[in-house]
Amino acid sequence: MTKEITVEPVTRLEGHGGLRLVIGDDGKVKDAQFNIASTRFFEKFLEGRYCEHIPRITPRICGICPIPHHLTPTKAVEDAWGVTIPEPARKLRILLQNAKQYSSHMLHFYALAAPDFLLGPFADPALRNVVHVISKMPDVGAMALKMMDFGQKLCAEIGGKSVHPISAIVGGMKKPMDEAARDKFLKMIPEQVDFMKKTVDIALKVVTDYFDVVANVGVVPTYYLGMTKNGVHDIYEGDLRIVTPDGKKIDYDIHNYLDVLGEHIPEHSYATHMYYKPAGYPDGIYRANTLAMTNCADKMATPLADAALKEMKAKIGEVSHHTFAYHWARIIEAVESIELIAKYLEDPDIVNPDCKTLDVQPREGNGVGVTEAPRGLLLYHIWSDAEGICKKANLLVATNHNIAGIEKTLMHVAKQVFEDKALEGLKLPDPWID
Amino acid sequence: MAVKVAFMQNSDCWGCHQSLLNAHLGLLPVLPALDIVYWPAVVDFKHDSLVARPDGDILVGFVEGSLRTNADVENAKLMRAKCQLIIAFGSCSCYGNVHGLANEWDIDEVIKRKFEQVESITNESPHEPKEHMPGFTSKIVPLDEVISVDAYMAGCPPKPEAIISAVQFLLGQKPQPMAELSFCHDCSLNNENCLLEKYELCFGPITSMGCTLKCTDNGNPCVGCLGPSKTVSSRAEKLKNMTKNIDQLSTGDKKNLHEFLTLFLNVPLMSGFDLSGDILKQVRRTGEPKTALADVPADTGEIFANTMRYLKNNRDFIKISTVCDQCNLQIGSKSQMTRVKRDYEGLPNMNDCLIEQGYLCAGPITRAGCGGLCMRVNAPCSGCFGQTAWNVDQAERFADIVTKGYNVALTKEELLAQMKDKLGFSEKFTLAANKNYR
Repeated sequence: MTKEITVEPVTRLEGHGGLRLVIGDDGKVKDAQFNIASTRFFEKFLEGRYCEHIPRITPRICGICPIPHHLTPTKAVEDAWGVTIPEPARKLRILLQNAKQYSSHMLHFYALAAPDFLLGPFADPALRNVVHVISKMPDVGAMALKMMDFGQKLCAEIGGKSVHPISAIVGGMKKPMDEAARDKFLKMIPEQVDFMKKTVDIALKVVTDYFDVVANVGVVPTYYLGMTKNGVHDIYEGDLRIVTPDGKKIDYDIHNYLDVLGEHIPEHSYATHMYYKPAGYPDGIYRANTLAMTNCADKMATPLADAALKEMKAKIGEVSHHTFAYHWARIIEAVESIELIAKYLEDPDIVNPDCKTLDVQPREGNGVGVTEAPRGLLLYHIWSDAEGICKKANLLVATNHNIAGIEKTLMHVAKQVFEDKALEGLKLPDPWID
Repeated sequence: MAVKVAFMQNSDCWGCHQSLLNAHLGLLPVLPALDIVYWPAVVDFKHDSLVARPDGDILVGFVEGSLRTNADVENAKLMRAKCQLIIAFGSCSCYGNVHGLANEWDIDEVIKRKFEQVESITNESPHEPKEHMPGFTSKIVPLDEVISVDAYMAGCPPKPEAIISAVQFLLGQKPQPMAELSFCHDCSLNNENCLLEKYELCFGPITSMGCTLKCTDNGNPCVGCLGPSKTVSSRAEKLKNMTKNIDQLSTGDKKNLHEFLTLFLNVPLMSGFDLSGDILKQVRRTGEPKTALADVPADTGEIFANTMRYLKNNRDFIKISTVCDQCNLQIGSKSQMTRVKRDYEGLPNMNDCLIEQGYLCAGPITRAGCGGLCMRVNAPCSGCFGQTAWNVDQAERFADIVTKGYNVALTKEELLAQMKDKLGFSEKFTLAANKNYR
C-alpha cells in the first residue's frame, strides 16, 4: 500500500501552497510535490494598460514585497523608453527598497520562522505562532513589532503607502522625502541598530542551538540565482549572477535573461519551475532568496554585514547548500539594510526636489527591470508600443524562483525522514518557550 | 472569553494581512480577545480542522482575496457555513481587485498566455497544470455573488486602523457602557421642546451623559458620541418606536443616523467599512461568546438592531463621500485641464487638484475611506476603495463629473477620446463587479 501524506495548506507562508508526499510500501519516497494552487494572470491583464500604470497594478502581486513590485516594472519601462532618472530618485528608491527589505526580513524571522525555533519542532501546533511568542516573550515581541513598524513606516513615508506604494513614476520619484520626516527617522536609527544587534544575538544563538539541524537537514546542492553589482551584494541594481553547485560564479547582463532562466510548466503547480537554462531541466534547478544572495556575493555592501557574511562563510563554506542557513543569511541581509538605511537617511539627496526628470517620451520597444525582492530575484520584461501602451509583459517573480528548489529540497528531506530516519539522532535544544 | 475568528485567504497578495500586522503595537490590546482558529498566514491550523468544525462555530470570518480558482469559491462557501458573520476583507473580495481586469478576456485566452505563450517557457508542449490543481473560474466575481456577506471592508489594502476598529466593533469591545445615566438627564431642552416629541431622531435616551458640548444646546439632536449609558431614560420607548419605523427618514435624520452609526456604534463607515446585515442583532442572538454588547440595556439593544436592519436594506442611505472629499488638493484651482496628461509627464505642483493639472485621477468616482493617501505624495488616485455608483460606464461617469465640477477645458467627448486605457483607468479595482463585462 502506498501512503500519501498531505499538508494543506502550508502555513506561515505568504501564498497558497500544499505539500504531497507519496511513500511506497517499500518505505521509499516515490513522489514529493509542492502544489501551488493559485495564480492571477498578471501576464495577461497588463496588456493594454498604460505602461506607467503598471507599477500601480503589480504591487498587488505581493503584499509583503509590494515595493520591489512597484520599483521593478518602473525600471523596466524606463529601460524600454530609454529614460535616465536623476541621482536623488535613485537614492530614494534604494532607501525605499532597503526599508522594505528590513521590515520584511524581520517579519519573516520573527513572525514566520521564529515560532519553529523558539517552541521547537514538537510543539503544539495551536501554539506555534507569533501571537504565542508575543505573549510568552513580550520584550522580544515588542522589539520585533517596533522593528517591523520602523521599516513599514519608512516605506509609507517614501512610498506613500507601505502596502502598495505609489510614489515611483517613470522618470524618477513623485516627491522627495520631507526634511522633518527624514529627521524623525534619523533619530530612530540608534534604537533600531541596537534592536538589530540584539536580533543578531538571538539568531546566532538559534544557529548554535540548532547547528546539528543546520548542518545535516536539507543540505541540497542546487544552482543559485542572485544579483550583484561588481560582485557586491545589491538589492536594487546589478547583474544576474548564477552560482553553480560547485561554487563557480557566472555573471549575465539582465537583458540576456532568456538565455539564462528557463521556465518549466509542471503538471502539479501553477507556480512554474525555474531552472538555469544551460544546465537543462531538472539538473539546472536553482534557488534564489537570501542564501542564494550570500552565495552570490563576494562581499556585502556595508561593514557590519560584511563581517557577518565572513563569519557565516567561515562556518558553512563559501557556497552553502544548507537550507536552514537561509535564516542566517536573512539576518545578514537585514544588517546590511539597516546600515544602508542609516547611510541614505544622512544623504542630502534624499530631500532634493530634483527627483524626477522631465525628459520622458514613450517609444516602441521593450525593457527589462530587475531588483532583488526579499524572497528572491524579481524580473519584469515589458513591451511598449509607440504610445506607451503595454503590448505584453513577462514576469519572473521572487518566490517563483524557489518553487522547484523547494520541491527538490522536500524530496531530499522526505528521504532523510522516511528512508534514512536521519532525524532521529539529531541534537535539538530545549525549547526557549513552551 | 476570547471569540473565535478565522481568516481565509483566496487568490490574493497577503497585503490585507500585512496591513493588519501594520497595526504593530496596536495589535497588543486586540490579540488577547481573539481565538484565532484559522489563519494560514500566521497560525498552523490546517484546512481539515476548519472543515471539522460545527457549522456556525466561528463568530467572525474574514474572507480575503479574489475568487480566481474553483478552490477559492469552495473556501468562501466553507467559511459561510462555519462563521456567523462574514466580512469581505479588502477590495479583492469586495470588488475582485486588479485581477478582475482579466475579465476583459475569455479565460482560455488568459490561461494560454500564462501557461503556453510566456517567453521564458521551455516545455515542448506547455499546457495548464491539472494534477491536484483546482482549475479556474471563467470570470472573477465579487464575494457577495457567491455567498451572503455581512460586512464589507474595502481598500487595497484596508487601513490598519480601520481593521482594528472594525474588529473591536465586531467583538463588542466598543461600545462600552460608560455613565450610569443617559444624556436625557442632562439635556438642556425641557420636556415640551424634546426633539423626540417633534419626531426628530435623537439618541439622548440611550447615550451616556457627561458631554461638555451638548448638541441640544443648539437645538440639534444627540448623536451618541459618548456611547451607551448603563440605564436608559423614560424616552427610550419613544426612540425605540421611532426606529421601528425609520424607513421614511428625512434628510436631516439620515445625517443624524449616519453620525450615530459612526460615533455611537463605532461602525467605521468612513473607513470603507459597511454593514449589509443586522450584525449586532446576530451577535446578540448568539449569546455566546458574551460580548460587551450583551451588557447594554434591552431597549438599547433593540434600537441597535433596528438601525442595523435599516442599514441592511439601505446601504447607500447617505451619499457616499468620494476621495476628493478627503483630498487636500484644491478643486477650482488656477490650473486647468486643457488636455489629458500622462502620469509620467512633468511633475505636478502640490497644491492644485491633479485633474485640473491635467492628470487622470479616479478620486471623483472613488469612494472615500483612504484619507487621500496617494495625493499626499503627488500620485493620482487609482480607485482602490471602489466606486460610488455601480454597473455603469465608469470612464463616462468620470468624464461627466469632471467636465461639470472641475476646472476642465475639455468637453466630455474630447476627454474620453484622449483616454487610451478607459477600463484600466476607471475600473482597475472593480471590473469584476461590473456586470456589463461578464
